[in-house]
Amino acid sequence: MKILVLVKQVPDTTDVKFNENGVMIREGLQSILNMFDQFALEEALRIREMYGGEVSVMTLAPEQAKTAMQKCLALGADKAYHISDRAFGGSDTLATSYALSLAVQKTGPYDIIFAGNQATDGDTGHIGPQVAEWMKIPHTSYVERVEKIENGTITVKSLLEDGYRMIEMKLPALVACIPPPNFEYSNPSMSGIIKAKNKPYIWMKADDIDGDKSKFGLNGSPTRVVKMYPPPKRERGQIFTGDYSESVRKIIEHLKEKKVIE
Amino acid sequence: MVDFTFTEEQEMIRESVRDFARKKIEPIALKMEETHKIPDDVIEGMAEMGLIAPTVSSKYGGQDFDPVTAGIIAEELSRADPTGSIPVFYLVQASWGHVFNKYGTEEAKKEILPNVTKGKWFLGIATTESDAGSDVLGTKTTIQKVGDKYVVNGEKMYISGVREAYTRGGGHVTIAKQFPEKGAKGMTLFYLPLQSKGIIPQYVDDLGREGISTGGFTIDNVEIPSHYIIGQEGKGFYIVHEGYEYARGLIAVICAAAGLKSLERGENYLKQRKAFGMPLAKFEGLQFKLAEHYTKLSYLRWGAYNALWTYHQEILGKASRFEVSKAIAMSKMFAQEWACEAIDDVMQWQGAFGYTRECVDQVAWRAVRSFGWAEGAKEIMKVIVSRELLGKDYTAYK
Amino acid sequence: MNIDEYRGILVVGEVYDGKVRPVTYQLISKAREMASSLNTKLSAVLMGNNISQYANDMIAYGADTAYIMEDKVLESYVSELYASVLARFIESIKPEIVLIPATHTGREYGPRIAAYLQTGMTADCTDLQIRNGKFIQIRPAYGGNIMGEIITPNHRPQIATVRPNVFKVGNYDKQRKGETVKVKPDMSNINIRTMIKDIVKTTVTGTKKVDEARVVVSGGRGIGSKEGFSILQDLADLLGGAVGASRVAVELGWMPKSAQVGQSGLTVAPDLYIAVGISGTIQHIVGMKDSKIIIAINKDPNAPIFNIADFGIVGDYREIIPIFIEELKKELKK
Repeated sequence: MKILVLVKQVPDTTDVKFNENGVMIREGLQSILNMFDQFALEEALRIREMYGGEVSVMTLAPEQAKTAMQKCLALGADKAYHISDRAFGGSDTLATSYALSLAVQKTGPYDIIFAGNQATDGDTGHIGPQVAEWMKIPHTSYVERVEKIENGTITVKSLLEDGYRMIEMKLPALVACIPPPNFEYSNPSMSGIIKAKNKPYIWMKADDIDGDKSKFGLNGSPTRVVKMYPPPKRERGQIFTGDYSESVRKIIEHLKEKKVIE
Repeated sequence: MVDFTFTEEQEMIRESVRDFARKKIEPIALKMEETHKIPDDVIEGMAEMGLIAPTVSSKYGGQDFDPVTAGIIAEELSRADPTGSIPVFYLVQASWGHVFNKYGTEEAKKEILPNVTKGKWFLGIATTESDAGSDVLGTKTTIQKVGDKYVVNGEKMYISGVREAYTRGGGHVTIAKQFPEKGAKGMTLFYLPLQSKGIIPQYVDDLGREGISTGGFTIDNVEIPSHYIIGQEGKGFYIVHEGYEYARGLIAVICAAAGLKSLERGENYLKQRKAFGMPLAKFEGLQFKLAEHYTKLSYLRWGAYNALWTYHQEILGKASRFEVSKAIAMSKMFAQEWACEAIDDVMQWQGAFGYTRECVDQVAWRAVRSFGWAEGAKEIMKVIVSRELLGKDYTAYK
Repeated sequence: MNIDEYRGILVVGEVYDGKVRPVTYQLISKAREMASSLNTKLSAVLMGNNISQYANDMIAYGADTAYIMEDKVLESYVSELYASVLARFIESIKPEIVLIPATHTGREYGPRIAAYLQTGMTADCTDLQIRNGKFIQIRPAYGGNIMGEIITPNHRPQIATVRPNVFKVGNYDKQRKGETVKVKPDMSNINIRTMIKDIVKTTVTGTKKVDEARVVVSGGRGIGSKEGFSILQDLADLLGGAVGASRVAVELGWMPKSAQVGQSGLTVAPDLYIAVGISGTIQHIVGMKDSKIIIAINKDPNAPIFNIADFGIVGDYREIIPIFIEELKKELKK
């Protein structure tokens, strides 16, 4: 079984600080492996454990993303492909997924491609489906668990808003994963960290993947971010600290006025 | 050249241990005050991560870690466990694992060390007795060769991890007199399994670090096989100092980390708590205290890493034992005092709450206070440094 | 690509459990405004089986053309099938803007359509604007800490997925005139390698869907236990609402994932949102800040949730909610 996991290093936005104007302070944010991707990797490693094979990880990112890639190797991935080239600067999800799909084809073929359902910085959830579309292979998003692999098919549990579906796909296929509540992420073990140093780490440039260069980077990106700003604030309203009954009555009066209760 | 950076792997180790400690240790740390036990799943988790005696060779399930890397782990464990229990559990096994790994017989290492690194057994150190602490030569416990075996008699006191080794398995690197007439050259170091027939444990009620036991045991005609001898007969006094020094370096890191962590809690408190219409953090009297403690503890932290680095240099054959002894003694000399002073002030800032059992900092204070004695009292550190400065001719104690 | 060939707005509707998802009409209502200011036509498309009866509703909410694509095969949603059929349909009608619901399904087939058409797509928009004839797509990033404005200048169509409940449904005008067009879905040479083996619903039948309720009573860590949620249910029942939860409450196993409000869960914008024992992380706030009225109940006076609440009570919910219920009952009796 040849397995590939697409990963991304992201800024840790779980504990963001803001300046006096309510603007997020981006400096000093720690870089971490996208949690969705770590879950995808842990599913891939579990599949390798069950069915054997090799797990590679791949990222398209500047050099500093090596930290996240090393973590993947320390967690148990066998091989890393790091695509890094200025030609990819300014890529949106379409250009990124195009370049990734080429690199996947170049280094493959793979039986299963794992991806995080989304990354916690951009939160688009595009990369998985779009890589699958460029490669014309089936895919499923919101995959909480890979159930089994059998007779050239993969069965996955994919979340709906109000339940889930069990979906079977012919391999090769792509699964975009979302961790279940309470998922316990592994920490790289000491020996994993030491072994990671000697695992194959393959750097790739734009020239190493065959494709239409006009679709790389900013030129290949249909979308443009034109403005960034802090989210609009709601004003702090009336906060009661005194008698509960009185507070409740005041609020109910207001709700009646606004016809929320009639 | 001086380069105060850690390697990429060391940074990764720090991050991984920090995250593990945040998830698995922080939530249970204060509970150990009542349970008097490190939870089994924490020990299992530490073993899976490779955090128990990582100084041991990978042949026996260790990680071949150098002293600086071992220090990084100690630092992160200390930040997460204010009771100091897990740091003690760690530092004792890391230090004496190193000694065992270096001087133990192949047969003993194969038999014992994998059980230690897997977290099944506890590996401790037993030198002190009721009447012999810093003065190792005052040891009364004896070891005698009888046929192809050895027989041990005596008692040990103020030993960490007695209950752990007595109930879980494992034992203590123990020192005893073999040739009383030979003084320092008559002492032998050996591994003493605490589940041996003839061991009777007893326990003391420590002020802190409740998750790991302290106690002693009487040794009544306990037989041990010859392959349990660590190093050679008569070399115990010299070998034991290598373990002490390893442990002292780790203790210095642990003290710095506990103090700095307490200061972090203190900083938050100073910013949040208001008095006379402004946050406490605006009062210069408190600011200066914070700045002084932070500076001292940062010096302490780097001094400790310097000491552990020097220890590593000796392993690599690039430094002498004396250089190590001095650097280590310097790092431990003020470790407990400075950390306790900082924590004491953090308690002070919190007003009457600082004197309640709810206040985390008093837990940390009680834990750190133990390091004023553990693995060599601070007074001994001064003896060592003066000896290195003035030469042996001016040493009052032999 | 000659972008002038692309005209009009297309809303992709979704049928779910045999019913049209409310987000369909929310998008049509919003797109109606946009189409008017762009002076262009609005169409909407629905895929499935036996769904032609919904064409009139789409028109009543503002569509000029309601496309209906019916086929037995389309009855169950499969991403690669829906993506291909929709992409081909979009190619054939060439709209300048396509809006797709940011549901789990929409976020699955949507990106594939954009890659198929090799055009730009903006995910999970929380606002859409027409400025100087340009289509501005607004969305949160970095866990809701930053808003970004995104355009697709030189490619068509411009595709956006939009979260349910960020737009309100507009007027339902039964008299509105529009055209219903039945389209035969182009399924030629589509190799479907995906099979749905089972569909399991985990929400308790009979309970209201959190993202469709007019009133949401949500609980967080401060509720303290699974049992604590029953009193929130009582309050929600009284108000005809649903019970939601913060991520922590879901992770602690107190509530199902389907009740989770926030960045990694549902976005809701009810008339009334009552946050109980929820401190108010940015990730939670992103999912409920567009509620009309927010009431927060929390023990901690410094909880960030109070900064966005219209009303707050500092105190123990175990005492406050019963009073709330009692007072409400008095009101409702009147």
